[in-house]
Order: sequence, then C-alpha cells, then structure tokens
Amino acid sequence: MLPFTRREMLTRCGTGLGMMALAGVTADDAGAAAPAADPLAPKPGHFAGKAKHVVHLFMNGGPSQVDTFDPKPSLDKYHGKPLPTSLRTERKTGVAMRSPFAFKKYGQSGTEVSDLFARTAEHVDDMCVIRSMYADVPNHEPSLMLMNCGDGRLPRPSFGSWVTYGLGSENRNLPGFVVMCPGGYPIVTTQNWRSGFLPGVYQGTYLDTKHAEVEKLVAFIRNVEMTPPRQRGQLDLVKALNDEHMAARKADAQLEARVRTFELAFRMQAEATDAFDLTKETKETRELYGDTTHGRQLLYTRRLIERGVRFVQVWSGGGQPWDNHDGLEAQHKKLAAEWDKPTAAFLTDLKRRGLFDSTLVLWGGEFGRTPVAELPALNGRDHNHYGFTCWLAGGGVKGGTVVGATDEFGFKAEENPVHVHDLHATMLHLLGFDHERLTYRYAGRDFRLTDVHGRVVEEIVG
Amino acid sequence: MVFRPTGHSRTVCCSALLVALVSSGRCHATPPGEEFFERSIRPTLVERCVACHGPKVRKAGLRLDSRDAALAGGTDGPVIVPGQPAESRLIAAVKHGGEVKMPPEGKLPPAEVAALEKWVALGAPWPAQSALLPPAKAEAVASDHWSFRAVKRPKVPGDGTGSPVDAFLRAKLAEKNLQPSPEADRRTLVRRLTFDFLGLPPTPSEVAAFQADKSADAYEKVVDRLLASPHYGERWGRHWLDVARYADNKGYVFFEGKDYPWAWTYRDYVIGAINRDLPFDRFVMEQLAADRLDLDDKKSLAALGFLTVGGHFMGNVHDIIDDRIDAITRGLMGLTVSCARCHDHKFDPIPQADYYSLYGVLRSCVEPTVPPLWGTPPEAADSKKFAGELAAKEKQLTDFVLGKHKELVTQARARAGDYLLAAHAARNQPPVDDFMLLADPGDLNPAMIARWRAFLETTRKRRDATWAPWHRYAELPDADFAIRAATVAHAETDNPLVRAAFTAPPKTMKEVVERYGKLLAGVEKAWTAAGGKAALPDAASEALRSAFHGPTSPADAPLALDWGFLSLFPDRATQGEYQKLVKEVEAHAAKGPPRAMVLLDAEPPYEPRVFIRGQPNRLGEQVPRQFLKAIDANRKPFTSGSGRLELAQAVGSKDNPLTARVFVNRVWMHHFGRGLVTTPGDFGLRGDPPSHPELLDWLSAEFMARGWSVKKLHRQIVTSAAYRQSSLARDDGLAADPENRLLGTQNRRRLEFESLHDSMLAVSGSLDTTVGGPPVPLFAGRTRRAVYGSIDRLEFPSLLATFDVPNPAATSPERTPTTVATQALYLMNGPFARDAARRLIDSPAVKGAKAPAEKLDALFLAAFARKPTDAERTRLLAFVAEGPAADRWLDLGHGLLMTNEFTFID
Repeated sequence: MLPFTRREMLTRCGTGLGMMALAGVTADDAGAAAPAADPLAPKPGHFAGKAKHVVHLFMNGGPSQVDTFDPKPSLDKYHGKPLPTSLRTERKTGVAMRSPFAFKKYGQSGTEVSDLFARTAEHVDDMCVIRSMYADVPNHEPSLMLMNCGDGRLPRPSFGSWVTYGLGSENRNLPGFVVMCPGGYPIVTTQNWRSGFLPGVYQGTYLDTKHAEVEKLVAFIRNVEMTPPRQRGQLDLVKALNDEHMAARKADAQLEARVRTFELAFRMQAEATDAFDLTKETKETRELYGDTTHGRQLLYTRRLIERGVRFVQVWSGGGQPWDNHDGLEAQHKKLAAEWDKPTAAFLTDLKRRGLFDSTLVLWGGEFGRTPVAELPALNGRDHNHYGFTCWLAGGGVKGGTVVGATDEFGFKAEENPVHVHDLHATMLHLLGFDHERLTYRYAGRDFRLTDVHGRVVEEIVG
Repeated sequence: MVFRPTGHSRTVCCSALLVALVSSGRCHATPPGEEFFERSIRPTLVERCVACHGPKVRKAGLRLDSRDAALAGGTDGPVIVPGQPAESRLIAAVKHGGEVKMPPEGKLPPAEVAALEKWVALGAPWPAQSALLPPAKAEAVASDHWSFRAVKRPKVPGDGTGSPVDAFLRAKLAEKNLQPSPEADRRTLVRRLTFDFLGLPPTPSEVAAFQADKSADAYEKVVDRLLASPHYGERWGRHWLDVARYADNKGYVFFEGKDYPWAWTYRDYVIGAINRDLPFDRFVMEQLAADRLDLDDKKSLAALGFLTVGGHFMGNVHDIIDDRIDAITRGLMGLTVSCARCHDHKFDPIPQADYYSLYGVLRSCVEPTVPPLWGTPPEAADSKKFAGELAAKEKQLTDFVLGKHKELVTQARARAGDYLLAAHAARNQPPVDDFMLLADPGDLNPAMIARWRAFLETTRKRRDATWAPWHRYAELPDADFAIRAATVAHAETDNPLVRAAFTAPPKTMKEVVERYGKLLAGVEKAWTAAGGKAALPDAASEALRSAFHGPTSPADAPLALDWGFLSLFPDRATQGEYQKLVKEVEAHAAKGPPRAMVLLDAEPPYEPRVFIRGQPNRLGEQVPRQFLKAIDANRKPFTSGSGRLELAQAVGSKDNPLTARVFVNRVWMHHFGRGLVTTPGDFGLRGDPPSHPELLDWLSAEFMARGWSVKKLHRQIVTSAAYRQSSLARDDGLAADPENRLLGTQNRRRLEFESLHDSMLAVSGSLDTTVGGPPVPLFAGRTRRAVYGSIDRLEFPSLLATFDVPNPAATSPERTPTTVATQALYLMNGPFARDAARRLIDSPAVKGAKAPAEKLDALFLAAFARKPTDAERTRLLAFVAEGPAADRWLDLGHGLLMTNEFTFID
C-alpha cells in the first residue's frame, strides 16, 4: 500500500488542475488499488436516471417521416398538385407526393407505422414516437452537427462525448463511446463523434463494420507478433521496471495511473475480442438478428451495452444513404429492409435480457423529408427540417405514445414542437442529468450540450 | 484547460444581456421564479425595454433595470402590481390593449408577452444580486481586475542575491514555512533541459559531457547550446502551433479543394522566427499584419498564416472571422472576446460592439486564391511560363466570380420588383438566412431575397419614411386588399415621391410592388445620368436610392456573403463551373513553388454594424473599426485600410497589459508543467488569478525591457534554482501545498505526443533531423519529427486525440493530459514502437556489444542515458536468458520504450 491518501496522490499530479479535476470525479475507492486519475471511471448523474446506456440508430441522409412513422392521408388528395402552403427547403420543390407505402395500426396503442417498419412496429407499445421534431436548416452538414453536437456549425463536442464525460464508462476494458458505420464515414466524417474541447478520451471510437474480424474493427487490438503469454511476459518486465522507478520517486499518481493503463490495455485485448466474437451467440440469436451488416452491427451493440459501454452510435452507412431526392420508393424500401428485422430483433433481445429499461434507444436522421416532390420527377423528396420523426424506446421512455404532430401534410411540426435541443435535454434527463448543469468550462464559458436552449419534454418521460 | 466537473456553475453565458453581470459562479440552487426571470424575462427587458427605460434614457420616468425601479413605476404611477397582471399597466402596454403600446416599434412575440404576464403573476421575482449594473459600473469593476492593470515592475524581495525568480518564489514558500528542494542531479538536469528546449532526449555523450564539466558555468553552457540548436524552434514552434490551431487543410468545404498546400510555410516561419529569437512583439505584429510592415525577408509574409490556417467552416464568412477573432484575442491576450458575438460579454468588459469592431477589421480583409510566392521565384524560363499559365487560370476564375457578383448586384436592382415581391411573399415564412439554398439558373437568388426581406424588416422597425406606405399596404390581407387599400391614409412625414405615387390607391400588393419598382428605377436612371457618383440633391430621391446603393442597401451585396460563394451562385450548374475553375487554379498553383498564405486589406474597408444576437440579417448600431476599450481606454477608430496594422500594433504594444503576461505565462507553463495562471487562455474575470502575481509582472516587465527576447526569458527562468530543483515529492510540501503551486519542488512531467514520437525515433538512431519543408504523413515508416507531420483538420486522427494533441478546430491554450488504456494499446501493439525497438536493437552501439551485459548497458544508455542498476541487470538478463535471444532482446528493447522512465521527465 502506498503511504498516501487518495487526495494527496491526486493533488500531486504535476500536470495540474486538469488532471486533478479529472480525478475529482473518480469513485472513492479505498485500499491498495486506489485509482489514480481515471477520466472514464463511472460517475453518478445529478439524480438517478433510468437510462444507463444510449444506442443511437442514425438514419443518415434523412428518412421520410410521411413514409415511415407519420401517416398523412391528405397527401393522396393533393398528389401531383401544389399544397396550399409550402416552405422553402434546400432545393426547389413542387407538387405533393403521396406515400407509396401503406400504413397500419400496431399494438395496444394503435400507433400507425408504414409497412417499411412492420417488424419494428411490433414494439410500438414500448416506443415513444416524436412526430414533431424540428431542426434549424435543411442542409445535411449543419443538421448532422446539430443532431450530434448540439450546434450546426461551431466545433462542439458530440452527444456521446458529453454522456461519456458525464457518466464515465462501466467497462474500462472497452471504449466508453463506440461508433459503427459500415463502408466509410458519413459526411462531415469524424466530426460527428468528436470530443471537441472535452478531453480526447471522450471521443467516439470508430469501427468500420464492413469488416467482421476484430483486428480490422478495432485499431491495435491485437499484437501481430507476440502470443498473449509472450506479451504478458514483456508487460511483467515493464511493470517490474516501473515499480522500481516508482519506488525511487515516492508515490506519484501520474506514474501509477500510467502503469495501470497497461494492465487495462492487456485485458482490453481479450475483452474486445470477446465482445466482437459473434460465435459466442446461439444460432437462434444470430438468426434473430440476421447475418447481414446491420444484423451484425446491432448484435455487437447489444454485446457492448451488456459489457457496460456507455454510448453506441450505429449508422446506416457511409455518405448519406437515406438522402433520396429521387428513386425514394426503391431506396427507402431497400434501406428499411436492411434495418427492420435487426432493429426488431435488437429490441426483443434487450427486453429478454433485462437490458431494455436501462438502454435508451434513439432512432432517426438529421432531419426528415418534404411531403412535396422535387421537380420535374415525382419520385423523391427534399430535406425537411421543419418537421420530422424520431422515436425513442427503453431507458425510462413512456412507451406506446406519440408526441406532437406535424401539420396536415407532414411539412412542419405544429403540435408540441420538439427541437433537437429539446430531444437532447430530454435524453439527458432520462440519463439522470439536468441538461443545464452538465457543463464544461472552456474559453471562459461554461458550455453545455444544449447551449442556452432545450426543455425536457415531459410527455416523453415515463 | 481548467476542467470543471459537472455542477460547478449553472451560469451559461449566452442569454442576451446588454450589461455585464456579477456572478458568484458558485453552485447554488436558484429559486424557480428567479430562474424563470433569468430565462424568460431578463432577455426581454434588456433587449426590448432598457434602451428607453434604463439608466441613460428614462422615458415616462420609468426604469426597468432593477426590481425596485420597475416597481416604483414612472411619472404616471406604478406599472407593475405583483401578482396582478390584469392590474399591471406594463402588461396592458405589451398586449397593445390600450392607448400605450409597447414596444412602440411593434408587438413582442406572443411567447414574450405571455412570459411577462406569468412573471407578474408570480409576483415579479427578480434575483437580488443581479441587478442590471449600469455599464460604467461594470467597467469600473473590470478595470480593477489584475490583468487589465498596466504591467508594473515590482520590487524584488530579499537581499538582492541570487535569481529574482527564486526571491519571489521563496518569499511565498516562507509564508508556509517551506523550503525549496535541493538541486536535481546532473543527468536529470540535462534530460530536463534537453526535453524542455528540444523535445528530444540528450545523447549519452551529451549527458556524459555535462556530468564531467566541472566549470562554474557548465549549466549555462548547456542552456546556450540548446537555445542555439535548430531543434529548439521545432519544439517551441509546436507549442505555438497549438495556439495557432495549425492544420494542413480547411476542414469541410464544398467546392474548393480541402488542402492548404502551403500551410507549412507558416509553420516554417514560426520555427525560424523562434530560432533566431525574433522579438516577440515583432513576432505578434508580423502574424497579424506582415503585409503592412517593412520586412527584411519577404518570406515573413508567411507569418499571416496565423490568421489564415484556421478552419473554413463550410465557407461561412462569419464563422471564419469569429475563429480569427478568437485566435487573436484568446490566443494572444487570454481574452474570450468571441463570447461577445451575440451579446455583451457576461463577465469581462467586452461589449458586443467591440466584437464587431474587430469583426469589421477582419471582414475588411481578403485572401487571394493565388497568394504571393514565398521568397523569390526562380528566374528560369519555365517558371515564367508556369506563372503565365497560372495567371491566366486565375484570371478566368476572378472574372467568373466578379462577373457573377456583378450580375447579382445588377439583377438585384433591375429586378427589384421581383425581389420585393418575393421578399413580401416570404415575410411570414421562417427565416432562411442561415441556409445554404439551391436554386435553378435564372431564378432569383435566395440569399438576395433574404437581404431584401431583412431590409424591409429594418425599414418597418425604424418607421422609415420612404417605406412607411409599403408597410401600410403590406399588412392588408390579399382577399379584400383593394377595399382596404382605398382607406389607407398616408402621413405628412412620408417620402413625398412615394406619397405622390400612391395618390390613387393600389388594387393589389403587386401594384404596390410595381409602383415602388418604378420609383426605384427612375431614381437609378436619374442618378446614372448625373454621373453615378455624387448623392442626389433631392432628399426624397436620395432616400429611395439608398435601397440600391450604400451600406444598408440589400442590392449592394458584398462579394463574400454568409455562405461565401455558395450564396453568390446558388445553382448547381454555376457551382459546377466555379468548382472546375477554382480547382484548376488550386491544382496548378500547388504544382509550383510554395506561397505565403497571406491576408490582404480590401478596398474599401467594410463598415461594421452590430449583428443583433449574432444574426447577420439583424443589423444594429454602426461601430468603428477599433481596438478593445477594456485594454485601451483611449482607443481611436482605426484609419489605415482595414485597421489590421493598427490592431497588430495595439496587440504587440508595451502598453497592452495582457500580451506580455499571457506569453510569459505560457513559457513558464512549458518549463514547470503549469502556468502561474492556471487558465492560460482566460485572464479575464473568470480566469484563475496568478499564484505569484508579482513574479508574473516582474518577468513580464523584464521581458519587455529586454526587447521581448524569448531566449532571454528562457534563461531567466531555467537558471533559477526553482527550475533546477529536484522533482521528488516532500512530505512537508504535500501537507502544506498539496497542489505544489508554490513550487517547493519541480513538477514531474509526461512527454507530450510529439516528444514521445520523436524520442523513440531518436533513441533508435533513425530520427531524420531535417529542418523545415512540406509536411509528410505521420507514421508509416516516416522518420521526420512529428511537428512536420501533416495535420488533417477534417479527419483529425483519433490516435492524436488519444494522445491529447489538441484538435485544430480552435486555438488551444494548453493540452489536457489524460492517461488512458488506448495509449498503452498503441505502444504495445502498434508498429511504431515495435519498429523503433527493432532499429534500437540493430543500432551499432547495441548490436556491436557482444556480451549480454554490455548489450544491456548500451540499451539503457540509449533509452535512459544511464546504466542499469544491479537489480535491473539481474532481472533483465534473466529475462533475456529465458527464450530465443533475438525475440527476447526485441521484447526487452520494446519494453524499455514503454516504461515510465522513458515517458516522464523528472
């Protein structure tokens, strides 16, 4: 045991206040294994939140609400004709376009969902469908930034970074915030999961889930030259040298902390390999999700959540797959088919493993699409930030509910509008945070995810 | 960076306040009524009311800037009856229900009216400690703040012997009955110095030489040798590049190429300037205005990269300028001026007007697509040919952009009627000024429609005499327009030309548009006929003309609109054409000799106006281009070009209380692991005060007195006993000064990413010590120093972030050290450390040693500049003996590179 109290050790960090304050949120363990500054140590929120983990299913490009979760029969009437009122979006739009997909009521709640998400809709009684989402502009880049980082343009930390900063991670052998996107980056790339001015440890760890082998998924997770026993021997040697080095220097929390990271890293190799090893799942489970990219992504997600990872973001794919300015029917059908079965399986699996209540699932894009078509063809829709749909499930969400409504045509959020800031505030609330108090001092200001905006939407909270 | 865990302060600086508030910044529970006031009432009072009902103007004898004053009411008695909105005249006035209608220029949004009603119903709660201070008082509080006071040279305490640095530190230590620590041993000292100055380990022979040097000035000789090394500039240049948010590309952009092919000329300028000890004030001035200074070497134009290597923010002009203001103010002066973009700074004496004074300076500057050559171009014939081709391509691009701009401006006048109609039609639509909008070729320009719309809105609010009739008609519903238009009465004050045009009532809004269109066209014609230069003699005509010309004219759009060229040509076809032209120029130029990324003054300079709430289409008061009042109470408006040169002189002035202090603090931070001020990017009222204010001032005064010589400053610091003392923790120090702010010992420090990278290459004998030149990719077998690695701003490598390299999205005053497993993973499994170990084992000194013990000695000398202890020797030789020799030596060498001893500087 070291002849230091935890406080002394922490305050001895020569690196100053930064390190000290990082340590200041560390759980107060006693005993020989007193932790030195560990920015990922689990921390409590402001109050007890139901949700402990977040899974964000990101339909990048912007899925159409009137073709998925927000039925608008009036569009049939106006099909091919101009709407009484139309709003300016990124491109020129013309006449109304009816949805090529049929809607049906599901569950006890009777919420209507289109055929595109028929399987997911089986969970509708546990979902809260927010039909009155809105954002600021009809352009992808700022809208992605707003949804992910709470600001359209300025370099702010991502939602996942904020949550990991606020709650730490329950598994120090895995990154706290994992991002999966098959086949390359979405547009504006890694900015979507940056840590901004928060320490780098809170940034999202990106995995290209086009690959299925762990060493291709996670950088440096395996040593290609050394067997684990050989590496163990090497690390024991390093540990011995470090111990002697420390003994000659009295205790120093920085030295101690770094020694510990090597032990963690060694364990991480096994843990990560295990987390991404789907052969450990039963055949029934694998079939439930399906042997597809999204099936695999969501099964990884469940395995990561189960292991205590705080925030997992799963993307549709590189670029902006849902951005169907034309050919919407075929494209939306294809994309929804990729997502529907695994999403339903994921929700089922969370429920049967008792993870559903502690996992907050968000489904949605950076915005939605217009009820009017782009000219001259009548087969695609423009971006629409005035009104769109997201849904939440699990993690303390009031299931079987629909919050808000768009106008008669699904163009603009009219009833109980929910801004992206409000969504963030509400999700933070479900995680146990007052969004106005989850702050970080930077450049003379106390920054927060919701800037000066955001309200907790009580109708969402169960 | 000061890291505040959650919950420390609930004050977020962005509700639009016109006056600074005094806040405790401490955690306290806010009563709900007061929170409601802060969120929903204060902004309304401040934005809509206090200009007329405040400390300066008290219309109707009413002030609404404190609760007492508000409850006291005005000349006609109370306006608020707490708990009784129906009885409160304030509520009646904002509902426009009675005779008094407030605010006079138009009804408040319904939400604000409802909030005021609720507030009165709640009993008009108003937090006691946050009365709206009159600005003069807020300034008085701030001017007393330590960092805004002039730097004065304090008396050095003690008996005048030894280093003044030590005298100041010892005085403070003595107050706590503490003593400084003894001097560190020579090996530690030379390692400390070499890493501090060069970011590299000393060679074994350098260590041995210092250990053997018995002369009295042995230590000073090492310092001099290191300061003379070209690698000193690389190390300290990298520190500076953090401040300069250096990267080799623009971030996310649409049509240009994303690279900065010559950002490195700025990096090399920095390294060179530091190496030759360019006086720091001059260094600052060159980085802000090299184009306006007499330069010995034209290559110094590259200094302007300080302004131009920032991100491009998708081409948004306002964000690019904001980033530059931030780099200048926070980076050079420790002031968070960009907080004042949307409203007055909440804590520091930076009014919003001052932000726009600086905005005006930077908005008056342009970046040429083809910047000037860096240094003298070669005289060869092919270079002339190259230059000719480039000039031709550049001309094509310039002609294209200028042509499109001219087209836009001409069209905005020629089709004024169409724009007016479109602006009218959009009046109730959500605002679109923040979009990137696409249009078809030949369509009205959406950004221009937004400008006309904002123009109409301004004329409405100001009750502009020329446009008053317009607004009377614009309010009428389409359905019974003709009937109601016939009853519209015009005022005597209306512009007589407009009044005359509406003698007969219009039947539709379109007709109104046509009549205005005709008036505008007539005036334009008359003005052109009169030579198109001087103002028209007739005031009524001149008032109409201002819609087409001048700073408030929507038609007179600047070349750089909000979203840059995207706004200039919103159709895909033209964008495609532009993209082709710009890429041709960029690609061609990139093939040629390097260029300096300059910023130049544009003519005529931009006349800034405050953007209300930071929104470019909500124009407030006009402000001069000038310096910050908080720093220079006697400032005068800038008069030379953009004002950038004057700005540079003001920042680099001896009278500036911040520039020297901020820099001295940075240097101290890099020598001790922490600044005397622990918030190196915030010297304002919310920053942490210095631990040793007199020492900071003495060093700053001395620094300026010695010609701003950075090398002299270094010597001053590192020759002190404080710098040279041991970093071993002491029990008395831990008890009395647990944070070691009094510096009773040196601080042990971990190598930053660049030093770790470079050290591994250095000890393995593979470091390429070439100085300067274009960037190279990091890793992948490259052996240049990390400072030469290309930095991708858009896809900032997660590996760098993992090792705490700051993201170049914004100026970074300090690095946040974290210790995480992913760092270890990289060293354990990544090829970089392993390959370095392989080369270390293969290096002549190690390979040449035959006996295992000698081999081990050679390894230790290379890695740690010492020999192993007996215990280490026994353990390590046993490890080697346990398996195949080659594998074992490699694992051992690799292991040494992962140890704490390799990574920490005592």
